[in-house]
Amino acid sequence: MKSWWLRLGRYGLSQRRGLALIVLLIGVDVLFGLLRPWPMKLILDNVLKNEPLPEKLSWLNSLPGAPSGFALLAWLTVATVVLFLGGWIARTIQSYVQVSTGSRMVYALGSDLFRHLQRLSLRFHNRQSTGDLVKRVTTDCDCVRVLVMNVALPLLTSVATLAGMIVILSRLDGSLAAVALLVAPLLGFCIWFFAGPMTERTYAQFELQGATMSRAEQTLTALPVVKAFGREEYEDQRLDELWRKADKAYLRVLASELQFKVGTGTVTALATAIIFAIGGWHVLQGKLSVGSFTVFLSYTASLYGPLETLAYLSTSFASAKAGARRVLEVLESDETVLEKPNALAVAVHPGKKSGHIRLENVTFGYEPDRAVLHNVTHEAHPGETVALVGATGAGKSTLVSLIPRLFDPHEGRVTFDGVDLRDLQIASLRAQISIVLQEPFILPLSVAENIAYGRADASRKEIIAAATDASADEFIRELPDGYDTVIGERGATLSGGQRQRLAIARALLKNAPVLILDEPTSALDAHTETLLLKALERLMDGRTTFIIAHRLSTIRKATRIAVLDAGRIVELGTHQELLAAGGFYTRLHDLQFGNVK
Amino acid sequence: MQKYRRLIPYALRQWPGLLFIGVFTVVSSLVVVLQPWPLKILVDCAFGDEALPVTLRDLLDSFSLQPTPKVLIIAAALGSLGLFALNSFIDVGLTRAWSVIGQRMVHDLAMDLFRHLQRLPLRFHHKNPVGDSLSRLTTDTWCVYKLTDGVLISPAQQILTLIAIGAVALRLHAELAAFALVTVPLMTGATFYFGKRIKQRTHLGRQAQSRLMSFVHQTLSVIPVVQAFGTEGRNWQRYQNLAADAVTLSQRGTLLMSFYGLVTGLITIAGTGVIIFVGGRQVLLGKLSLGSFLVFIAYLRVLQGTAESLIKLYGDLKPMEASIDRVLEILDAPLDDVRDDEKAKPLPATTTAKRGRTVRFENVTFGYEPERRVLSDVTLEAKPGETVALVGPTGAGKSTLVSLIPRFYDPWRGRVTIDGMDVREMSVANLRLQIAVLLQETFLFPATVAENIAYGRLDATREEIIAAARDANADEFIRRLPEGYDTVIAERGASLSGGERQRLAIARALLKNAPVLILDEPTSALDAHTESLLLEALERLMAGRTTFIIAHRLSTIRRADQIAVLNAGRIVETGTHDQLLAARGFYHRLHAQQFAGFNEEVAV
Repeated sequence: MKSWWLRLGRYGLSQRRGLALIVLLIGVDVLFGLLRPWPMKLILDNVLKNEPLPEKLSWLNSLPGAPSGFALLAWLTVATVVLFLGGWIARTIQSYVQVSTGSRMVYALGSDLFRHLQRLSLRFHNRQSTGDLVKRVTTDCDCVRVLVMNVALPLLTSVATLAGMIVILSRLDGSLAAVALLVAPLLGFCIWFFAGPMTERTYAQFELQGATMSRAEQTLTALPVVKAFGREEYEDQRLDELWRKADKAYLRVLASELQFKVGTGTVTALATAIIFAIGGWHVLQGKLSVGSFTVFLSYTASLYGPLETLAYLSTSFASAKAGARRVLEVLESDETVLEKPNALAVAVHPGKKSGHIRLENVTFGYEPDRAVLHNVTHEAHPGETVALVGATGAGKSTLVSLIPRLFDPHEGRVTFDGVDLRDLQIASLRAQISIVLQEPFILPLSVAENIAYGRADASRKEIIAAATDASADEFIRELPDGYDTVIGERGATLSGGQRQRLAIARALLKNAPVLILDEPTSALDAHTETLLLKALERLMDGRTTFIIAHRLSTIRKATRIAVLDAGRIVELGTHQELLAAGGFYTRLHDLQFGNVK
Repeated sequence: MQKYRRLIPYALRQWPGLLFIGVFTVVSSLVVVLQPWPLKILVDCAFGDEALPVTLRDLLDSFSLQPTPKVLIIAAALGSLGLFALNSFIDVGLTRAWSVIGQRMVHDLAMDLFRHLQRLPLRFHHKNPVGDSLSRLTTDTWCVYKLTDGVLISPAQQILTLIAIGAVALRLHAELAAFALVTVPLMTGATFYFGKRIKQRTHLGRQAQSRLMSFVHQTLSVIPVVQAFGTEGRNWQRYQNLAADAVTLSQRGTLLMSFYGLVTGLITIAGTGVIIFVGGRQVLLGKLSLGSFLVFIAYLRVLQGTAESLIKLYGDLKPMEASIDRVLEILDAPLDDVRDDEKAKPLPATTTAKRGRTVRFENVTFGYEPERRVLSDVTLEAKPGETVALVGPTGAGKSTLVSLIPRFYDPWRGRVTIDGMDVREMSVANLRLQIAVLLQETFLFPATVAENIAYGRLDATREEIIAAARDANADEFIRRLPEGYDTVIAERGASLSGGERQRLAIARALLKNAPVLILDEPTSALDAHTESLLLEALERLMAGRTTFIIAHRLSTIRRADQIAVLNAGRIVETGTHDQLLAARGFYHRLHAQQFAGFNEEVAV
């Protein structure tokens, strides 16, 4: 992985204006912070101990009321208040700007990730759990904010503060400043020593958390089976175990953080004590005024702040890195079906029938060594209906999923109106294809929105027409809010058949020249299916259709039937031709009407 | 406040840890009070000429040391080092202890939530998307941690520190201490004033964030449709809009927080100004030593820290209320009527030679929502070993009827009995042991193939698993998988075909070997070829068992002992295939529809 923080930095820098303002405010705050102990020093040395003011500051005596002690005290109090207030205001504005700038960065990254995820091939999605991916988009994207706000900016602040302090300290007392400086290499060693394990452990913890979340998701999704098998307690235990592991992983992260804290704490404490001793010695010798000594102490106390921040940077850095790893893992996976830079839009000629699909010597599999389709060549002319028949696992669904380019074949090519799919714009290709899958995938939106999913601009009339054609209008009207019923809310649950009819309505509304029907009616009973077949026939009319169906009655009217077996087309012809041939298809046919045995 | 009380037990269960934290907190506030004292000794006694406090002089005497300035400097340096070390030691201890017990609290609450979620009726999960339940489980459960911190631990720490500092400061200089302490009630007032408003704003912000999260979840879980319908661009736009909303809302929340910060800042700074001026005057007038003045200044810094942590506390605590509500909403959701009766007993062993049981529905009326009946007055009986086929149009209530047998739901009226015993009189666990279910949708778990098959019987041996797989015609394809029976299945079995998934589910049911079998369209996702392979396996399974089968294909159901035809929640016909055909009723019409086209064709 090339330097991840550079890749994330891009998203950080997308908020240049916010960042510039933040840096400016940090500058103000650091300056005020450096000046803060000085009025107190003057109070101690020049008011309380009554020493004469240094020459540079003799103008203080010309202020109203001065050189009386009380007046000087009042002026210096005002100075303190102003310094405090200025710093406070700068910090408040800074934190305000920081929140919005930070979340903009996070969403810039999240939005890229989301876009990429949507384009990743189904093969990728089949392997990943949805819960885990959601976590990457919503939680892990925070890494860019952590990197900029919790690493880069504190680094800047601390370095600026430290530099300022060291300059001032070395002018007050050189040897003391040298001691303070000695802390730096020691802390550097601590950071170097602890950062490695912290990153590893943080990543392990993230992984376990993701696994826990996805385990819980699995169980809740499969709840009907869990209940039927009475496995609730078993699932409780399994989640409990995983959760405990995640907890332990967190404690391991914490342990290394604490070791680190002890290490750095010891270094700073020793430094403070040494400064205390040497500084006190110098005061006794008269080399240092009491006021300057308190400035030293106040600086060393504040020294701890920026140093501690520096030390913790590596924790934040580690956690940002862990998140970034998970985000970039997705962003860098190229399992997308890539669109060529000069891809063409599908040409639509009003007069000419479109939708000529051809597979040429296509070989494809989901895993490298497990080809599902072997050297398949097949063709469908505009308006033809091709039925795919074959045993489970013969490759029927896989074959049709190549047409909208959900996958790219390993070998051979698929063409649309004579153009290789890989030369076409994906969106324009998919606009030409309607799909009804085995699983209807209904979203928790209103019924109307579900139907109009492929065509957000559809009018209510068109939606109702599509629903009517899909034999769905009747049951939709019986729902609590009709077409505006949100599915999944207030008990608006649908049966499998009803969901499938919505999916069919969705495809009907899309009205594309190519139609893919992957067992669209297998979840419906014979009664509903007959209602649907009419609608489907109307839809198939004039369109190139690929239909996968188990019930032979559904497919006998196809222009051509392709019988697939183990990823190869073994028979091809019309219903009657195939029956006459007495081959594989005849056997399937006999099997279905078991009485023929 | 009422709702906070519900979470208290989770905190109290960790009492040893809390006690430990309590003790450490007391020590820690003492250390905070002592921390500026080495400086005071240094300034007053080493640089100045004040006498050393008696306790310290005695301490030095015991080491037979003279309180010379040099000795005092070293003592002060060592004292500051010691206090510093003690402070960081306590800090580490507190962090570690609090993380451990906080995590245990979250763990306990989350497990209770998960346990409850699993036992909620399926109806609840139909309404509540899994993504939402998940975020309650993994995110909202942290409320107990933040709540304990915000209500118990942090305030205790702050108050203890305040009291300790106040007591010492009052003894040093009462007037000055009073000035310093006046800032506390002012700060509290500001917190209350802003708190309510901040709560509302942060609530809105969190809502916007959760809208974004559920949108992402929603989209990613229907990714095949997204890609097929090419809605990526639109979804992305939607993401941008939702994100912009979230930014705007969080900005508004932060603005208010910033105002709150400014007000509390003003109060602390005003306090500091007063202390510096008044204190300085007192030093000039000789009423306060320089060292004590420095101690006061140091205490002010602690007070300021207290104020800052109060702000943070409020920011953390207020959004917690929403989380608590979301957690309690689940915990309070009624577990439904499906619950073990107090007198629940196991089903007695079968008396007949047959393995099956008599299952009987008596005048059963049921619906998922009040007023929307799905089943009306259904009476139906299956004798041991009998196969009852349920036929009817989509939505007639077939799946609902069979889901009453394993008590996924309880009927409104009427009863379901097994061997004459009302299912509500048995323990749910015992009841479900008697029933194997095959559903339309197969649910596989991300575990190995073998573990998936053995899901209903964890103690099954490898031989038994393989035998079940073989009976389900699954052995062959399983052996072709990369690691055979030890191949880990991806989420929802996505890498397997529909038929392969269903065959694993059948193997799972076979292995469970229960006397009652429910087949809810188990083969409708399979092609005729695979189905025929399966039918022999299913027949083997059904032999001797009481079976309810829902299927569309007539070839599957014609061999049933009894066919019950359902329409709109009522049984309209019962009889054998031949009887029903002869009656020329509803079944006859269904039959005609299914075969009309085909017979015609064959006849030509």
